Amino acid sequence: MDTAIEYIGRTSLNFFKTVQDNLSFSIKVIAGMLNIRSYNPAMRKVLVNQIYFTSVQILPLFIVASIIFGTLIIGIIFQVIKNMGLANYMGHLLIGFVVTELSPIIAMLLIALRSGSAINAEIAVMKVNNEMKTLEMFNIDDINYLYMPRIISGIISIILLSSLFSILLLLSGSLFAKFMFGMSVAGYANVLSSSVLFSDILILFLKCCIFGFFITLIPIRSGLDASNELTSIPIAVLHGMVRVFIAVIFIEVLSLIIRFI
Amino acid sequence: MVALDAPLISNLEVWANIALVRQYHRNSSGRDAEQEVTQYLRRFHLESIKNKRNSALTDKERFCVMLIRAAMVDQAVVVIDRPAKIMPDMENSQFIYDALEKIDDLFNECYIFDYIWHKDRY
Repeated sequence: MDTAIEYIGRTSLNFFKTVQDNLSFSIKVIAGMLNIRSYNPAMRKVLVNQIYFTSVQILPLFIVASIIFGTLIIGIIFQVIKNMGLANYMGHLLIGFVVTELSPIIAMLLIALRSGSAINAEIAVMKVNNEMKTLEMFNIDDINYLYMPRIISGIISIILLSSLFSILLLLSGSLFAKFMFGMSVAGYANVLSSSVLFSDILILFLKCCIFGFFITLIPIRSGLDASNELTSIPIAVLHGMVRVFIAVIFIEVLSLIIRFI
Repeated sequence: MVALDAPLISNLEVWANIALVRQYHRNSSGRDAEQEVTQYLRRFHLESIKNKRNSALTDKERFCVMLIRAAMVDQAVVVIDRPAKIMPDMENSQFIYDALEKIDDLFNECYIFDYIWHKDRY
């Protein structure tokens, strides 16, 4: 009995310690982001490279996946709208579901799988190779030079890619609207624009920022947990990706609670 | 510091490793820093390795790159820690002195630390 209670206590303490570490790390990163002197040429170079790796290199895959997956989803949504006689709510359904819910999740998933894991491994390798010590010896702040560009590029990439996903889906929606409801493109655009609320866009923007922040911050933090042994790299990546998954669920549930309650 | 404990950053090219110090502390633009670094690499006839990464360098090339990087700090005091660990094939210290002479305008002082049993190499 004692052992079970000890186990629960130890697990809880570890969980809260991880949350506390991540939050204090977040505060340091946010403080760096708000300091204009952090944006020196070395940092800007890394930022541009990271934006290229995260949101430009992924574009061909992302566009193809968005068109295939998006058309399928939008087809199902239109079928449901038609079958249930919800044509009057078409705009609200499309904006509420596709734009504010589906697009950040899809963009976040692709970026977390592709760039999150890469960032996690990269930081872990740098830690194992003692490259962090190099930065320290040359008085280069690792938060400014290494972490901030990756986190900012994560935020920018999620905003850009989820916008692109929404645009592609809504464009394919115009085809479905024409064939299933005989709606003109102008009429469809009118329905969408009259359904957009400022709060929807604000929630979408905030959600993208929070997703982008945490799906890059958590892998960085996990990468730093690597020891000096090569075998600690896969363990750091594994822990990082599990933590990202938990954080994503937590953020999604929180955003739904804020939105609907 | 020129030491294996301060390795080159593996995801940066040679020029970017050296230029990093200038870009970060002096706010030099990427182009200016690259031109400056190329000029220093030319002193060692190493312009050809400018775009290589750490893993593609020979021991001597790596030593020269680390030495130039150490000299990029303002009013640099270069500390070379156990050069034989960086260049295991080093027979005597003449290569180090020649290398230091090529960039003697870039640093104020230089200290070399090595094991006492390597004394005869110096």
